[in-house]
Amino acid sequence: MKKFIAVLSLVVALPTAALAANDNVGGCGVGSLIFKGQSGIGPQVLAVTTNGSFGNQTFGISTGTLGCTQDGVVRSNMKTAMFIDSNKDKLARDMSVGNGETLAALAHLLGVESQDQVAFNRLTKDNMARIFTTESVATEQVISALREVLAADATLSRYQTAL
Amino acid sequence: MRPIWLIIFATLLLSQNLAFGATDSAYLAELVARSRQLRLAERQEWRKLVHYVPNLISPGVHGLVDSPGFYNAPDGKDNPRSELDATLASFFSDIEESNEQQNPQCVFVARYAWLAEQLAFDPQRLTRRICKRYQQWHAALNPAGLTLVFASAYINSPSSMYGHPLVRVDAKDQDEHTRLLAYAITFAANTDESNGLAFAVNGLFGGYPGAFSILPYYLKVREYSDLENRDIWEYRLNLSREEVDRVLRHAWELGPVYYQYFFFDENCAYHLLGLLQVARPELDLAGRFRWWAIPADSVRAITDHPDLVKKVVYRPASATVVRHRLGGLSKPERKLVKDFSVGRSAVNDPVLGILPAERAAAVLEASQDYASYRRAIGKDDVADPAGLARDLLTARSRLDVEAQTPEIPPPEVQPDQGHRSSRVALGAGRKEGRGFRELSARATYHDIMDSDGGYARGAQIEFFSLALRKYDTGAARVERFTPVNILSLTPRDAFFQSMSWKIAAGWQRVRTPDGNEPLVFSLDGGAGGSWSNQSSTALWYVLFDGSSRLNSDLVNGYALGAGASMGSLFDFNPRWRVHGYARSVRYFLGRRDTTRTLGLEQRIALGRDIALRVDVAHNRESARSYNSATASILYYF
Repeated sequence: MKKFIAVLSLVVALPTAALAANDNVGGCGVGSLIFKGQSGIGPQVLAVTTNGSFGNQTFGISTGTLGCTQDGVVRSNMKTAMFIDSNKDKLARDMSVGNGETLAALAHLLGVESQDQVAFNRLTKDNMARIFTTESVATEQVISALREVLAADATLSRYQTAL
Repeated sequence: MRPIWLIIFATLLLSQNLAFGATDSAYLAELVARSRQLRLAERQEWRKLVHYVPNLISPGVHGLVDSPGFYNAPDGKDNPRSELDATLASFFSDIEESNEQQNPQCVFVARYAWLAEQLAFDPQRLTRRICKRYQQWHAALNPAGLTLVFASAYINSPSSMYGHPLVRVDAKDQDEHTRLLAYAITFAANTDESNGLAFAVNGLFGGYPGAFSILPYYLKVREYSDLENRDIWEYRLNLSREEVDRVLRHAWELGPVYYQYFFFDENCAYHLLGLLQVARPELDLAGRFRWWAIPADSVRAITDHPDLVKKVVYRPASATVVRHRLGGLSKPERKLVKDFSVGRSAVNDPVLGILPAERAAAVLEASQDYASYRRAIGKDDVADPAGLARDLLTARSRLDVEAQTPEIPPPEVQPDQGHRSSRVALGAGRKEGRGFRELSARATYHDIMDSDGGYARGAQIEFFSLALRKYDTGAARVERFTPVNILSLTPRDAFFQSMSWKIAAGWQRVRTPDGNEPLVFSLDGGAGGSWSNQSSTALWYVLFDGSSRLNSDLVNGYALGAGASMGSLFDFNPRWRVHGYARSVRYFLGRRDTTRTLGLEQRIALGRDIALRVDVAHNRESARSYNSATASILYYF
């Protein structure tokens, strides 16, 4: 009976699995992909972590796909780049209103202290159009523009090193 | 067993790992003997760590994990005791950790922790290995707590009709604003299969491996909340530091393993509960779901332990936010939003300049959100969507006012607080002057007449509904059997043009001209639209229907028809709902007939899990008209 039940429910569960499987890009490489501005490393990590769980790695990433993650967690030097890469739309949105949890999470990654949070929001709002030159801007450009914007600000320039 | 035999046995166990000495065998024999004394292999903790469940028919247990590497003993899948012996033996291994392999103490880091605690391992006689990779992983998660995250159902994306749970690992340095940076542990089927039928058949026989994975929570939020437009509920769990660590150690053990994935029982909900329940020795979350696991019920399994939930947080999906934004705008402002987001007016439209800055900001934010919503659902009628988005964002960033994000109150009823998902009903009625009694049952889950609290409004998903009827004269018989019945009534308005649709397959009684009522298989589908009033207390729908019937008692053995149905649902108050409907289908191929039904259904909820239904209908079939009425009491469990 339960197997029989499964048949009908399956059809219903199908698209999620198909979605997870479609991004089977694999291979984060050594981070070079970020700087090519290609399909985005977010989906690739997604693909890597949802597939190939049968290697030796816990939370499997098969050999040759090391780079972005180790045992399922994002390598610390990749954290900011991968976050920006996966959240560009929402970051631009948050910057345009000067507020929001995606922007707060970015500030956290950059180590922005609480007393500088308002100034950080203000600065990114004023420079939103500079940081996101087009909506399909490459992650690399977002990072370097953000670095420049931070560097030009007296109080916030110390946070550019985190980028 | 005498000590000497234990040592020989221990030596045999150890010989599976290459290097061992006499002292190792002696200590292993001691440990094995003590574990027998303490009956550790029969303890709940061990059963949960190796995922043993009772066999269906024969006595004994079996492990649910299907990857051989999860068991140290050759018969470990069926034998908890030999698995425990072999696990102890494996801890004597001197394998060095590398990127390719780990020492068994690290592979089975949760088993090690538990056994070390129970048997008080002597570090002089059993070397403690350093699990560097586990430690790094643990440090990266920086865990402070766990949250069960439930992505609620969204019917127009059929994959999500049941909702989907995951476990989030909350970090120590995380606050309300940075939880996006936490990690999520999920369980899903691993497959590249894109053929629906192959997927269904394989899933049926457990042909796909299911596995745990861990990934940044922001990727899941993006997937659920932004792409699929599903509201998210977060249940913060009330666990101590040690309880969190127990779960994470076990998650580490489960990382590389796979299970055969069965959609209804051994699914994501079941396995996540299996993971969470190792937090406390006495906690049993998965046990009751052995045969039936619906994700919403997995949330109930958690909330049924009142001390387990610290806090519940609601995270509205993008579409929900857009609805609230639009609700806060005036009619002319909404028109602006519509014009901007489809590129009908340019963002430098002078009308915008006349508005006060706050109102202009609200219009621009709503336009931007609505434009991304349209992109997410695949509308591509805007010439340059990226340019449009940028224009809207730039215009907004030039306005020096606060974010105009609306306060969105969480729905009154949480997903775990709605009616239970199985239902039985006992009823009595009359049809053409003949009295009958009826007993019906539905395996799962919700229909449009049930109370909506905790469910998606207008979304009906019924699986395995069966009705038995006995007329005053005559024997009991099957009246209806409907394996699947889905109806999605998503209201349309100027901004959301969702389609409403239905599909149902099953057996029902159909009257033939000779007066018989054979059980006929029918497959029905329909598509149309529905509309709602402002306060969501009323809903109207019109659907165009197609219907097919199969039965050897019908002339020609089949019938194909087309028609329409329309109806209106109205809530006088949250307890009392009325549904008036009319349906007509003309069967023009096969056995010809024109059927008509005009009916009125009413539901009065007496409590969360109990309700009254009174249904009356006037029918016409095979050129004969008759009336029917049923009153029944419904119980959800």
